[in-house]
Order: sequence, then C-alpha cells, then structure tokens
Amino acid sequence: MPQRTPQLQPGPGTPAVHLTGLRKKFEKITAVDGLDLTIQTGEVVALLGPNGAGKSTTIDMMLGLSRPDEGTATVFDLAPHQAIAQGRVGALLQSGGLLPDLTVQELVTLTASLYLKSRPIPQVLDRANATEFAEQRVGRLSGGQQQRVRFAMALVADPDLIVLDEPTTGLDVEARRAFWTAMREETAQGRTVLFATHYLDEADAYADRIVLMREGRIVADGTPAYIKSMVSGRTIRATVTDTDLPVLASLPGVDSVETRAGAVLLHCSDSDGPLRALLAGTDAHDIEVVARGLEDAFIALTTGPVTVEASAT
Amino acid sequence: MNLTYLRLEILRVIRNRRVLIFSILLPSILEVVLGSEYKNGDVNGASATAYLMVSMGIFGALSTAMGISGSIAVERQVGWNRQLRLTPINPLKYIASKVLLSLFMVVPTLLVVYALGIGALGVRLSGAVWTQIFLGSWLSALPFAALGLVVGYLAKPDSIQQINGLVFFLLALLGGLWLPVESMPSLMRTIAKYTPTYWAVQVARNPLFHDKVNGTAILVLLAWAVGLGVIGLRRFQADTARA
Repeated sequence: MPQRTPQLQPGPGTPAVHLTGLRKKFEKITAVDGLDLTIQTGEVVALLGPNGAGKSTTIDMMLGLSRPDEGTATVFDLAPHQAIAQGRVGALLQSGGLLPDLTVQELVTLTASLYLKSRPIPQVLDRANATEFAEQRVGRLSGGQQQRVRFAMALVADPDLIVLDEPTTGLDVEARRAFWTAMREETAQGRTVLFATHYLDEADAYADRIVLMREGRIVADGTPAYIKSMVSGRTIRATVTDTDLPVLASLPGVDSVETRAGAVLLHCSDSDGPLRALLAGTDAHDIEVVARGLEDAFIALTTGPVTVEASAT
Repeated sequence: MNLTYLRLEILRVIRNRRVLIFSILLPSILEVVLGSEYKNGDVNGASATAYLMVSMGIFGALSTAMGISGSIAVERQVGWNRQLRLTPINPLKYIASKVLLSLFMVVPTLLVVYALGIGALGVRLSGAVWTQIFLGSWLSALPFAALGLVVGYLAKPDSIQQINGLVFFLLALLGGLWLPVESMPSLMRTIAKYTPTYWAVQVARNPLFHDKVNGTAILVLLAWAVGLGVIGLRRFQADTARA
C-alpha cells in the first residue's frame, strides 16, 4: 500500500470542508470507502484519480446531493445544505444543470436571483470568459462554452468555497488555460477551491495540495511535489517469498509496495539501495528495474490492483 | 416571491410556445365543432353555447396546466433540479412559483376560448357574469396546476406524454367536461364526485345559473390543490437524480 504523508500545516479557524468516515455504496459497488479529509480555508485542493475512483460521489456527499451511508460531511462546520443556504458554496457539476431555452445572460441572472447577495453579472461573465456569447441560448452552445456558463453560475454568488467536478472537460487547450488563469484570480482573494480531475498535470499546475483517490479511498495526500515523487522514480519488480511487505516498505528509498500477479512491486525514489537489500537479504528472483514516466506511473498507481482485499470489494 | 425567476420562466414558456398553442388549440377546436350543434339550445335554463364554452374553458385550463409537467420533465432530464439544490432556493417558494406560472399560462387559454364563444358561438353574457366565470374558472385551475407538478416530478421523462394523456383524458371525461355527468352510469357518477374537474366546472358554470358559490366545490378543490402541492413539494425535494 502506498503510504500516507502527514497533512499539510492546518490553517487557522474553521475548516472549509471536513469529511469523516465517509462511505457510500451503490448496490454492489462501494464508491466511497471510509474517507477522511479536512480542507482548510484558503487551500486549493485537487481530488485526483481515474474515473470510478469515487471523486464525484465524494463531491455529491460534500454538497448534500447524496446522503452518505456512514460518516459525516460538514462545510464550514455546517451541514452541507446549510452552508449552501447561506450562499457560501459555489459548485460546478460535471454535466447538465443548464436550461437550454434561456440565454447565458438570463441563466446567470436567474441563478444570481436565487441568492441573497451576488456579484454583478457582467463581471462574472467576463471572469468566466462567457461575455462573447452572453446573448446566445445555452442549448446552442458548444460543450466547452456550456462549461464556462457553469463556471459563471458557480462564481455568481461570490462563494467562500468553490467545488468543481472535472471543470475542464470539453475545453480545448487554450480555453483550459484561460479557465485556470481565471481560477487563479479567484483564489488570490482567499477563496477555498476543491476540484476533481483525472489529469495529473492539471492537479500539479494549479493545486497546493493533491488528494489522490482510487477505489473510494485516499491513497496519497500531499503537495504536488510529494505526489510526483511518489509516482515517478523507478519500480523494482521481483518474486519474493521469504519476507513481509512491511519489511520491504521500510527499506530506505522505497516509497510504496504493492503485489501484483504473485510479484512484488517496489516503487522507489532510489532503487539502488533496495536492490542491494533484496539481493543480500531475501530470495528475490526474476528481478526487473523499470523507470517510470509520470503519467504511466500515475496510471499504474491509480488503476492497478492494490491488494487482494481491495480488488475483492 | 422571486420575480426574476417568474419573469424568466414566463419567457421560457413563450419560447416553447408549441406546448401552449397545443393546449389552446384542443379546447378551441372542440368548442367550435360542438358549438354548431348547440346553437339555440339550453341546459337547465342557461344557453347551451355558454354552457359548452365554460366547459371548454375548464378543459383548456386543465390541458394548459398539465402542460407544465412536460417542462418539469425536461428540467429533471437536464439536471436542473440538481443544480437548484446547489443554491439557497426555498423549495416551497419554488413550487409556489411553478403553480403561479401555470395559472398565468391558463389566462390566454381562457381568453381564446371566451373570444371564440363570443365570435363563433354568439355567446352574450353580462359583464358581471363574464367576470365571475373567468375568475371561477381561473381559480379552479389551481389543483390542475398542482397536478401538473406531481406528474412532472413522478413520471419518467420518456413516459410522461402517455401518463399526461391518460390523466388528462380520465379527468376530462369523469369531470363531465365532454359529456354531462348525469348521463353516465352510476359508478362513473360516483367517481366523478371525487375529481377536481367535476367541481371546477361546477364553480365555473355557477354564474350561468346565477347560483351561489358552492362550498363543497371549494373545499374539494382546495383539498386537491393542497394534497397535490404537498406531494409535488416532497418529490421536488427528493429529486436529486444525476443528469
């Protein structure tokens, strides 16, 4: 199992998001499996993981859109619906949520009218890069343009916490960059941001902290530099029968250990030390050492089987 | 009440005018076709054409108010309700604006049906009776508006047309909007007394006979409106299905 690093320095005051023991099952699939997460005010956090890792389900529970089977979710120490009722949360969901027969301007105005306080509509449209098509009907826009409308709707109430579920889906490279530039300007004002993504480079470039999820659990939590060190480096693959995984995991230079198809995989920041230890102290055989690309490593870390127990659920 | 919301909802209805036009066309055609048969007749001392016109007004109010269920189904389909749950919207106020929207939509339907009554059927009534008929018919549409909400929130989007059609047909038939309830078999007569359409059309027709407002009718209509309204509200709150 990849190890977990200690949390970043906790900020002062009320956490923006506090999730404890969150669990959610859909029929036979456990989408979220005992998740604990605290996000401090002002943090920009990426929830990173492949499709099916439980990111959207976690966000749904955080926003009060679905009820956890177990555990609790609070936002600014309030139940999610209360925080929403106070206009403190703005959210961009992955799909839908738009009325096709209104213009962009009308839809954002309508959304603003549901809050007690809101930002000026032209300013919000500008920030979301939606001004040029503000007069067009939402149903006639491209997917990328609709995504910018959702962004405008998430910003309009001037929320303290912005939650974005795969915000750049459907955007081209240029629009993606413009989106993040706008987002940076928003976070410069001390807003807390949580965004879900399955792009490591996006999480790396825009988050202060990455929470890596797979199969409904958090498998790593730390700064982008730490996460990258986890997924880069070299992997030693060997067949070992006479030693325990914790022993291998404790070797200097080993970041994480997993077993796959009878072999042991040691993910190493430094592979020389562990290699010597393996050869000297165990019956390791069929040894391979492979350098990993960042994306490959990320995919391996988030999609392959972790343990027998995890793949059985 | 959120006037911005209501204004934009009305705008949406105008943009999707096909639904509204269809709801108006149905009672209008029936009124003109049947009207030629009714000329110079009378129903219990009232002009038969006026009687028909009032019935068609309620029929139109029903078809118009039920039209809202289609737009709710679309909103559910695109995940709009889920989006609303991310705002501080008050569900009670939201449902109230939906009902109010339905009532607004009923006004043009009633006006068209009455204009046809005057123009094509030659209906002549005093100003006071016109006013009473209009107000009675309009306010009686309240339970229909609530019904549109409930169907919209209960039915699956792909089956809503059929469910709407069935509810619409049964209520119009049993309520005596097409045929006099008195001519129906006794079981249907009994069932008719439980429908909102039966009582709505009683309220609407009352002024033709210079009758007082019927207390039972108002109680039954209110019970329907409140009962359906509560179900609609519950359904809205429960509806968080992902788009």
